[in-house]
Parts: sequence; C-alpha cells; structure tokens
Amino acid sequence: MSATSHGASCGVVLGIVLVIFLQQIGYLDLSDLLPAIENLVIGGVVGGILGAVIGWALGRNYLARHAAGETPAPK
Amino acid sequence: MRPRYPRVKRASLPAALVAFAVVALLMSVPAPARATPAPQALVAQPNLAASTFSVTWNGADVSTAGTSSSALAIDLAQSANLNFNWSTGDSSKVTVNDARLQMFYFGFAVTTRDQLVSGAVASAKGNIPLSWTPLSISFVLEGVYRLTASFLDNGTTLWSENFYVRGTALLGFVALLPIVLLVLLVYELYGLVRSGRYAMLGRKTGGSPPSMPAAGTPPADAQTPAEPPAGDSPPPSGGSS
Repeated sequence: MSATSHGASCGVVLGIVLVIFLQQIGYLDLSDLLPAIENLVIGGVVGGILGAVIGWALGRNYLARHAAGETPAPK
Repeated sequence: MRPRYPRVKRASLPAALVAFAVVALLMSVPAPARATPAPQALVAQPNLAASTFSVTWNGADVSTAGTSSSALAIDLAQSANLNFNWSTGDSSKVTVNDARLQMFYFGFAVTTRDQLVSGAVASAKGNIPLSWTPLSISFVLEGVYRLTASFLDNGTTLWSENFYVRGTALLGFVALLPIVLLVLLVYELYGLVRSGRYAMLGRKTGGSPPSMPAAGTPPADAQTPAEPPAGDSPPPSGGSS
C-alpha cells in the first residue's frame, strides 16, 4: 500500500464520517434519501481525492527527509 | 530479520464500525415504515378546498419551521405537546380519525406516532392532542430531522405538512453517535498524517530489504564460526529414544 492509496482510503472514511457528523451537530439535513446519498458520495469522493493528494505529498516529503534503508516501518 | 510491512487492514476497522452502525439503525426500523415516500403537502379533495388545517408544537405553529434553517429547537428527551386542529370554514364537515407524526432519517420513517380517534364523527372543526417524546433512545442521536404531521381518515391522507426540528441531546453534546463519529474522525486524521511513512515501504517491497543478506553469502564483516571440536559429544540432554 502506497502513501497515496493509504491517504485516499483515510480521506474517503473521513469524508463520509464528516457528513454524518455535520448532520448530528445540526449543519446538514439528511432526512431525505437521495440528497443524503448524494452528500455521502460527494463527501467520500472529495475526501478521497484530498486524502490522496495529502498522502502523496506526505510520502514525497517523507522520502526526501529519510534515506532509503534507514527508516523504521510504520506501526 | 523479517521486514515489517504496513497493516493493510487498518482502515477496515472504522469502515466496519460505520457499516455496523448503519445496519443497526436500519434493522431497528419497522418494515412498513421503510422507504416511505415523502407525503405531499396537500392531498386534493374537493370538500377540503376551503378547510384549514394546522399543527402546533408546544404552542408554536409548525408551518414556521418549513426549512432546516428555521427548525424548531427541541430537546429530544423531553415530551412535546402537539395539537392537530382543523376547521372547514363553511357547512361542510370533515372526518379525521387519525393524527400522525413521523420522523425521517435517510428517507426512512424512524419514528411514527399515531393518535387514533375511536368513533370519529364528521365535524366542521376539531382538535386532536398528541403527546410525544421524540426519541426513546435520546442519548444516541441529535441533529436536524424532518417531521411530517398528517391528518388521516381511514388511511387516506387529508392533509400533511413537513417541518424540521433541531434536536439536542442531554447537556447539548453527549449523544453517543456524535462521540463515536468524533473518535473516528480523530483516528482517521491520525492515519492520514502518518500516511507518508507508507511511501518508503511501498518502495521497499519491490526488492529485497537491504538489511537482509543474500542467502548463502555471509556479510563481509561476519566472522566464521569456530569449528566444532573433533570429538563430537552428544547433547547434554541426551534423551534415549
């Protein structure tokens, strides 16, 4: 799993969870099925794209700061 | 030494939690209430053209809460007193034997409350009181929800109106679902911040890790092990079998 795909997977979950959280704190209405599904899909897609970009940038930054072979594995 | 690879199933935990919560919510919905289409604002019937219907929520007319931005602020744990009123305005009479209140989430009626009137007779005006506690599990949910108030006559909708309420949980922010969602948000943000480390591992998986020597070729600085003694003695445990 690369940094980009890992960031994208985190971003998708973040986007979906954020939509439901916004409804719970009163900033979004999810009463109707179709707009609610649209909001969830939009949240997931936007979150996935942003997460992929952030993961890609963090991966490049990490590679630039660490030489190959001397980095510990993530936990 | 074996190289440590990233835990590829790390993201499946929050996804499984979200899926479990959604399935649990949907399973708690009674089957007849599922996928109920949104009722129309007014069912056209000739004798209802001049009739006036209204619903009040603790004295406030629900027609003033027609949008989510103008939602009625309520406490989901507190009981609400609703009044279903109608008046024909002329000599015609209307029979209402059911006042219904429904609460919708993702298009599903998560709560339905009916106030049935036994032996209802046609009348020019009337009033049906309804006392309702929005959620019996008020510590789980909060937020903005759409409600529908309906007047029914033997299952036929005479009139209905959609309005919105903004429910708050106990002490404002202690509902279970927002707390779980907040924990998930923090967990995923932490995972996103740490995603840069996966770049190095993705590069490593293509070839053999540099820390592992090739098979059969000892490292240059490795010392040759001492030759075993000529007189090979049996191991001290020496079990006979």
